[in-house]
Amino acid sequence: MDRREFCRMMLGCAALGCAGGLAGCARLLEWSAQDTGTGRTVTMSGEPSASPEPTTSAEPTVAPPPAPVYPDLAVYRGDDPAANTRAAVLALGGMERFVKRGARVAIKPNIIVGREPELATTTNPEAVAEVVTMAYEAGAAEVVVFDRPTGDPRTAYTVSGIQDAVEAAGGTMKILTERNFERVEIPEGEVLTSWPFVTDVFEADTFINMPIGKTHGMAVLTMSMKNLMGIMGGERGQIHQEFEHKIVDVATLVKPHLVILDAYRIMVRNGPTGGSAKDVETPKTVVAGTNMPSVDAYGTTLFGMQPTDLDYLRNAAERNVGVVDLGSLAIEEGTA
Amino acid sequence: MSRASRRGIHRFRRLFQVGFLVLFVALLAFTVWPLGSVYLGAFLVGDPLIAINSAVNGVLRPEMLIALVMLAVPLVLGRAFCGYVCPMGTVVEWASPRKRGGASARTPGAPGLSPKARETWRKVPVFVLLFSAGMLLFASGAYLVFDPLATVTRSATTLLFPFVDRMVRLLGDIAYLVPALRGAVDAVTTALAGRIVYAVPRVYGLALVALGMFAGILALSVAAPRFWCRYLCPLGALLGLVGRFGVRNRMVDADACIACGACERVCPLDAVRDEYLATDTSRCQLCMECADACPTDAISIGARPKKALYKPSRRAFVLGAGAGLLAGFFTFTGLRRRVHDPHLVRPPGTGAEGDVLALCTRCGQCMKVCPTNVLQPSLSKAGLEGFFTPEMDYGVGNCDWACAECGKVCPTGAIEPLGLAEKRKTVIGRAYIDTTRCIPWTDYRSCLVCQELCPVPDKAIVFTTDELTTPEGEALTVKRPHVIAERCIGCGVCEFNCPVPRESAIRVRGTGA
Repeated sequence: MDRREFCRMMLGCAALGCAGGLAGCARLLEWSAQDTGTGRTVTMSGEPSASPEPTTSAEPTVAPPPAPVYPDLAVYRGDDPAANTRAAVLALGGMERFVKRGARVAIKPNIIVGREPELATTTNPEAVAEVVTMAYEAGAAEVVVFDRPTGDPRTAYTVSGIQDAVEAAGGTMKILTERNFERVEIPEGEVLTSWPFVTDVFEADTFINMPIGKTHGMAVLTMSMKNLMGIMGGERGQIHQEFEHKIVDVATLVKPHLVILDAYRIMVRNGPTGGSAKDVETPKTVVAGTNMPSVDAYGTTLFGMQPTDLDYLRNAAERNVGVVDLGSLAIEEGTA
Repeated sequence: MSRASRRGIHRFRRLFQVGFLVLFVALLAFTVWPLGSVYLGAFLVGDPLIAINSAVNGVLRPEMLIALVMLAVPLVLGRAFCGYVCPMGTVVEWASPRKRGGASARTPGAPGLSPKARETWRKVPVFVLLFSAGMLLFASGAYLVFDPLATVTRSATTLLFPFVDRMVRLLGDIAYLVPALRGAVDAVTTALAGRIVYAVPRVYGLALVALGMFAGILALSVAAPRFWCRYLCPLGALLGLVGRFGVRNRMVDADACIACGACERVCPLDAVRDEYLATDTSRCQLCMECADACPTDAISIGARPKKALYKPSRRAFVLGAGAGLLAGFFTFTGLRRRVHDPHLVRPPGTGAEGDVLALCTRCGQCMKVCPTNVLQPSLSKAGLEGFFTPEMDYGVGNCDWACAECGKVCPTGAIEPLGLAEKRKTVIGRAYIDTTRCIPWTDYRSCLVCQELCPVPDKAIVFTTDELTTPEGEALTVKRPHVIAERCIGCGVCEFNCPVPRESAIRVRGTGA
């Protein structure tokens, strides 16, 4: 065996070793990622305003200012989706109430499939970009926007216009892969007791749920509660059975700090994927709040319905997940 | 050694080979949604074998002029394509046993076949062509599976890129174990997603077969260097056919030649004939390995080379042509199934099934560009003849509403390029609900995933709200889906997303016969 042959053999062995090592790593990772049916327990960081700021001031004589009273819902109308969004968030106390300096912010718009914004299938890109901008204005360290589309994520992100809008505002779009999901226990779940969720939702300091209002064959209407299906992994089709309970189970676990329902355009027929301009109406409205069932309850009125028309809203109210009686909610309405 | 032969462009042959191989893989790597304005399928469009097949089958396009030029090149440059451009040739050359240095090249025992075997094998390309012509006449493109450019494309699509996808994913998974790196991993993943890595890793049903074929072609080199290129490659045979009429090729100075045989031993394509003085111009790739090996510097390139070509006897020619025609005939009548698998669905833009089988070069570029991985190589649904032609596998993905790229990359016209609006109206199949397995129909529970995701504006899936009594006597109201035939385009979104395990309860069947 001459030297060259020896070198070649050693190289071959090294290559084989590398390949074997990689395969082993893959196997180990696969084992460690195996779904056992039970997941970790998480808690969402509470409403940022609720946690008291660490006071550096040592002035005991100054009485703390009385806690400001915010409306439950802020509903703003106007011709500019971005301005509507800004006004509604301002009415709730401004983005500073939800996003602290240095916070990591996660935004979940509805990007179910790639459709142009005019078709009202996906959340208004201008509104999403405005929320990204406001989060940075409030001092956010990073703003990540994601969804789990039903088809190819890149086409969906691109065609919906959300990718360009978010990136122009300085935000980051994230395409989710398996490693972004982890099984999480739902302690208060009645039908759904655990499910894989996007971990960013729980790791972020602020989670903003940003749906668009649409009709939905099975759910009748899809707004913020149904929008959370986009942070769910696994075989989501299974959620559709006993959906009206499962979606409330999810709402007991995932409590967004801020809910912004984009109703600049809404899809009134053929939802949730639509695809035709004739199914689109333009209430030019934004509904913002901190409780998903309440926001969705107001959302039903945009479609000429009552909150009690939706099974899942009735269930949510029964299980004290949120108030859906519009009469008992403080609603601030205005024009931007 | 200050030889004239050392000054030619052939000194940079390796550079050409590496350059074209890199270009080939790079163009293919960029073949992803959305396609830019650069024409990425340039190699396959310039392939004369594919172009002739398409032209005979009635597809004429301006791009084919490239192929016409490529076909004329051997008149002056021999099969330079094989030695300088063809990525398959490059890889086969790398896989071939090396000759050892200048000195040992002149000693007997260089790798290769016995003279007798060489004489037999050099007859083969003519019959490869006759066989191809027979298939072509009977409108079967199955022989194109052996086109070298299609083979490389297919192998890279089903093997190389999925491998890279998995490796990048694996590295990401390992890096993800370090929490500090997670942000960076997610950012890189997002940047590469849909280009190099995919949200769901790519799979191709027949990757192993593609691997076997590719490895087999390389392994043939053990018998003789570049065995595939010499004797079996149909594109090489076609270029060689033109090369027979070459007016410029390898020339030997008979006075300087000492008949040492070095040139014959180093010739990768077995083109040296007649006591080293003549050249088989249907083989010579102008690599000039012979000139480099020649101790007396007797070899150069010039006009009016001394040719030594294999001319089949009339008997052999007639027998070969007969066999080729028979092969075509039996492909036409035997391999092609009269009744197709009901679940065979072709991508949008394909014509009649016969046209797909006649035109498709089985290169898999459409499968490469497809963002959802729904385009898969066909194993048996289209019969043996349709092996590796593209079909929609709705267990893997669905036709994306925002994409119409497969037709744009098809080098043959088997998939016509369609505009997005046109593609969205193109019917490739029709969905049928299996009411014995559909959840609302059988289990009386809500579902409607198919209705929810149906992408056509006027939903092809509608539901009725039915009041019914279960066998247990429970009164229920259930929304049950129905397909409206004239609205369905067969995109398979419903089938892919149906939550019924194992086999979807809504399945798309192909249109046509």
